[in-house]
Formats: sequence, structure tokens, C-alpha cells
Amino acid sequence: MGEEISRLMDGEQDDAQADITCARLKDPDGMATWVCYHVIGDAMRGTGELTPGFSRRFAARLAAEPTVLAPRAQPARPLAYAWAAAAGVAAVALVGWVAFGTLQTEPAAMAKAGEAAAIRSPQVAARTIPADYLLAHQEYSPTTPIQGVGPYLRSVAVPAGDARQ
Amino acid sequence: MEPTASRRRAGAAVTRRVRLLRPVAALAFAALAIAPQAFAEDASAWLARTAAAARDLNYVGTIVYQHGAQVETSRLVHRNDGGTEMEKLVNLDGPAREVIRTGDEVRCFYPEAKIMRVEPRAFRNAFPSLSATEQKALTDNYDFRKAETGRVAGLDAQAWTFEPKDSFRFGRKFWVDTGTGLLLKARVSNERGEVVEQFSFTDLTIDAKISQQMVRPTWTGTSADWRMLKSPLAYIDRQDTGWVVGRVPPGFSKVIEGYRPLRERRDRVVHLVYSDGLVAVSVFIEQIGPAPRRLLGPSQQGGINVFVRTFEDRIVTVLGEVPGTTVRQMAMSIARR
Repeated sequence: MGEEISRLMDGEQDDAQADITCARLKDPDGMATWVCYHVIGDAMRGTGELTPGFSRRFAARLAAEPTVLAPRAQPARPLAYAWAAAAGVAAVALVGWVAFGTLQTEPAAMAKAGEAAAIRSPQVAARTIPADYLLAHQEYSPTTPIQGVGPYLRSVAVPAGDARQ
Repeated sequence: MEPTASRRRAGAAVTRRVRLLRPVAALAFAALAIAPQAFAEDASAWLARTAAAARDLNYVGTIVYQHGAQVETSRLVHRNDGGTEMEKLVNLDGPAREVIRTGDEVRCFYPEAKIMRVEPRAFRNAFPSLSATEQKALTDNYDFRKAETGRVAGLDAQAWTFEPKDSFRFGRKFWVDTGTGLLLKARVSNERGEVVEQFSFTDLTIDAKISQQMVRPTWTGTSADWRMLKSPLAYIDRQDTGWVVGRVPPGFSKVIEGYRPLRERRDRVVHLVYSDGLVAVSVFIEQIGPAPRRLLGPSQQGGINVFVRTFEDRIVTVLGEVPGTTVRQMAMSIARR
């Protein structure tokens, strides 16, 4: 289900598949997943800043809509869940960042946090990329030579996990 | 062939060469209407010129790197002394980090952790050496255009755009110094026109007097309390790996396939590289081992997208300077031939 919704959002489904997935969005769990992925995407892109009380106003307006497919009112729960997930991702990003400086962070704790993020955010996690993969890749990218050391700005921001090994 | 040899031949006279090339570029533009091939050569010639300027000139400046909501500022010093290149990059905020790049090696210093990482560097010095296939891919996949003039870091700049023809790649805009051709600013944007990543000089001195001292590392990294991590020599042993990407996005073609060592791994890792002439996507396939656990699924850092998945008893990592859809499609369609 999550996979299909994700593919729909990425524009990877053809019309027939998209119809099926859209039909599933009518299910509350499907809708929660849909909202969750979008909020995470927004948060990652930094475009998801909502004004205070947004959830309450949104829920009120949604409740006021003449909805046929609303067996039970579920005020704001999907959003609350989504924010929790987004916060989880942000925490992992922060852990990754902090860990670089100290290298003292418990690896198990990081792995655990990472697990949580992987489960909660199948859309896109803003996390650092292993530097050795990045360096190996950059050798073969045609844009690397024109940017000189530029690409290293990416890899040097990264080495937390790698440096520990 | 020894790559440094060609670089030495290129020498320091880039300014003169850029000036000589300008009429050529103009001619190429004039010929555009009748000969589409001239267009292809012009885009790759532009890349070659810009790469040569970055390599051959002496300069010092401050670079701002933006990705997502993050902004990082670094100091860059580049020296080319009669063909011998040396470069120093120091970040100005956060914990100190330093990168020293020489012809065949990159050293990264992490003074807080007292770690020095040494990465042998095997850049293929891609320019001017785009293959005919890559040159064709460049024109097939992007509209390359001369854009407006303006100022960047107080210098007169000419902007150039690579507009993608589909959503499997990002758009790119480059600003170069009109005098020397040096890249001043580079922007990556998605199909909605949002900036995904940007490098920009905020101040820059070109043709500066750069002493040996200015590009020397601040730390030696060899004292007893430092740890040195050295990667194996990075090269791809070209051969058929038996692995194939089933649904390669349009415009990408395989440029190299083989096995390579990757740090800390006993077995060699499968490495396939696909390129559209401007950017590349790497596919790494390795045995699932006890060693560091990897997070599965998509992730992103600025203009780089990654997709990690398992396939049978392997971990597949696909990454490149492309949108998430592109790496995802390639990762999901991996198969044995």
C-alpha cells in the first residue's frame, strides 16, 4: 500500500494503477499514509510551515464539508501522526550531524533511531550519504571537474558513520 | 595514459585559450541552424573550457553551499604551479573540517575526532574527453543555452543553462566569470523550478598570488593521537558483472561496468555507471554482510538522491545527481542478466 502511494506521488503509475491507488486513498489508513508522505516531503523541502492552529482549522473546515465518505470523524489524527514522523526524521538528521563532531554517539542508538525513520518515512529522508560511495561515484560524474572541489563540500559534510569504522 | 601529463600540457595559459576559443564558440552558435552537431560540440566544449579554468587558474575565495534548508560556508584556495594542482577547502562554521586535494589524493581532516581520511583519487579528468555517445546524450537530453549576464561575487558573470527535456534529470544553471571562464555559481533545480542545491562564491580573487603555505594542511594528521583511515586504490576493474538495470531512464547509457574495492569491504563491489552526458548515476551491488547496517529506501542530500534496497542476498545502492524517481526506477529494476 505505502509503496503504491509512494509510486503514485512520484508519478510512476499509469492511469489504471493510479485509479486503483486513488480508490484505496478513500480508506482512512490510505489517506493517513498519503498525508504523512506529503507532510514529510514538505518538511524535507522546507515548504511545510503551517501557521499555529492549522490542524484545528483544517479539521473544522473538513468537518463542515458535505462529505459522503466519512463514516467517523477523525479530527486531525493523520496530521498528528505525520508530524510525529517528521519529527522522527529530523531527530535522525540531527543525530547524524551531531555524531560527526563527537563520534561518541552510541552506534546502537543511532541504528535504532535510523530504523524508526526507515519505517516512518518511506518517502524521503534527508540523511547523509556514505562518503566512500559518494567519492566513488563522483569520479565518474561529468560535472565533477567543472566544479573543482565543490563536490567535496558534499562528502566532507558526511563522514560520521564512515569515520567510525 | 597518465592523466597528469595532459594537465601539465594544458599549463597555466587558460586565459589565452579561453580568448582563442571564444570566436570558435561564436562560430558554433552561428552554425547551429544548419548543423545540429555543432550544438553538441558547443555544450561539451563549454564544459571542457569550464573544467580547464577550474583546474588551471590560481584563486582564493569563499563558497556558500546551500542544500535544503542548510547553508554552509567554506574557504577555498586553489593553486596550479606549472601543472601541479593543489587545493584546500576549510569550512568556516560548525566543527572544523579540512580537505586537501592534490593530483592523485584527497585528504580529509577531522580535528575534533583526530581522524585523517586518505582517499586515493582516480578522477578520469573527464574533459575534454566526453565520448561521442555522451556528447550526443548531452544534446538529446538538455537544451543548452546562453542566458543573461550579471554579477556574482562582484565579478561580471555569464549565465548558461542546461534545461532538461524530461523529469528524469534536474535543470542546471551555471554562472562563469566572463574574463577567465571560471565557474562562480552553480544551481540545481527540480521540475517545479525550486532550487535543490547551490554552490556560489561570495568573494573571489582570480589570478591571486597563492603561496605553497596557503594550500598546506593545518594538521599533519600523522601524530600518535591521530587515526589515519586509508581507502584502497579506487579504480574499476572493467568486466561483465552479470548485473543489469532493466528500466534505464531515457537518455542514460552505461559508461562503465566492473568491480571495485570499497573501503572496509573484503569482497569487491559491483559498480555500474550510467550517464546522460552531464550527470551520472552509480549502481553499487554488494553481498549483505555483518558490517555497517544500511538504511533502506530513498534518501537525499541536496542534489544527490539515493535509493537502497535488498535484492536476494545483495544490497543495491543507486545514487546520482538526479531526481529521486530516477534512482528509484533503476534500483527497482535491477536484475541478473
